[in-house]
Amino acid sequence: MQRKLIIIASLLIGSFYSGVVHAQQTTALEPDQNPRYLESQYKYMRGADSLNSLHGTTIQNTYKAYDWYEAKLERRRQNREWRHEERMNGYYDYSPSWSLYGGYSYPYSNWGWNSGWGGGWGGRYGNRGGWGTNIGVGVGWRW
Amino acid sequence: MKFNKIIAVAAIAVSGMLIASSCSRQVTRVSTDETIDISGNWNNSDSRLVAADLTDKILNAPWINTHQEEHQGKRPVVIVGFIQNKSHEHIDAETFVKDVESAFIQTQKVRLVQGGKKREELRAEKEDQQTNATVSSMKKFGLENGADYILQGSINSIVDAHKRQKVVYYQVNLELTNIQSNEVVWIGEKKIAKYVKN
Repeated sequence: MQRKLIIIASLLIGSFYSGVVHAQQTTALEPDQNPRYLESQYKYMRGADSLNSLHGTTIQNTYKAYDWYEAKLERRRQNREWRHEERMNGYYDYSPSWSLYGGYSYPYSNWGWNSGWGGGWGGRYGNRGGWGTNIGVGVGWRW
Repeated sequence: MKFNKIIAVAAIAVSGMLIASSCSRQVTRVSTDETIDISGNWNNSDSRLVAADLTDKILNAPWINTHQEEHQGKRPVVIVGFIQNKSHEHIDAETFVKDVESAFIQTQKVRLVQGGKKREELRAEKEDQQTNATVSSMKKFGLENGADYILQGSINSIVDAHKRQKVVYYQVNLELTNIQSNEVVWIGEKKIAKYVKN
């Protein structure tokens, strides 16, 4: 009997205490405040430091815009570098490779869609190491 | 023979002088207000234009008066958040955001609180004072000013290029949001278009 009384009393005290705590939480809410605000607060508590360290900074999410002129200069630079490396390696391949019209000295036509200069560049891509010759050959083939 | 020698020496001297003059670098101080476009990329003039325009807009917008009416005449407290550069160039927004911050303080219309790494440093200094400073001079935790608004922004660009011609369009946006309510109270934008011919 005494044991039952102790259990009942402890249950009563427990429910009273939880009621008080709940009442405190309820009364702590601002008018119209979401009662589940603590869930959000705990969620952002974990990441706040890393996010806040970005304050006042510029996050660089840049993209590469295509610029015809810049791309041309870049291609020239890369080819110059490539030729230089070839020379430094001690050989320079003049043999015909995978170009449309074969070897470096082939007098190709431009098919009318560009000047000789353009054709020269086109030939250059398929032709390892012969661009100086190509430029000269293409001149005058305008349709 | 002697004459030839003199000519040779003179030629060497002149060519030496020419080489030296062609290799020497010239540096001249210029006014920071002067517009000097070299590559066509984003430069100090663009930053200055953005700063002047956005500072003027943010300080003359009605959000300051609205805030003061709602808060018994108290000045709004602002923190600067991050700016996202989504353009095609590396641009540091600090060059124009600092001008906006400076205008806040100089005009005394808006209060500014420190954020980011600088705030971390302040708190670290405060922590250091807890064990090293005298009790009377020690600064306490938990007494910082909470910001009412956060200033955030973005930089966007559009590039239209063909052969040697290029048109670059930049759009800089800054926006001010009420931290309590998430309400955007002000948006400012500055657009800059450039025609570049190589």
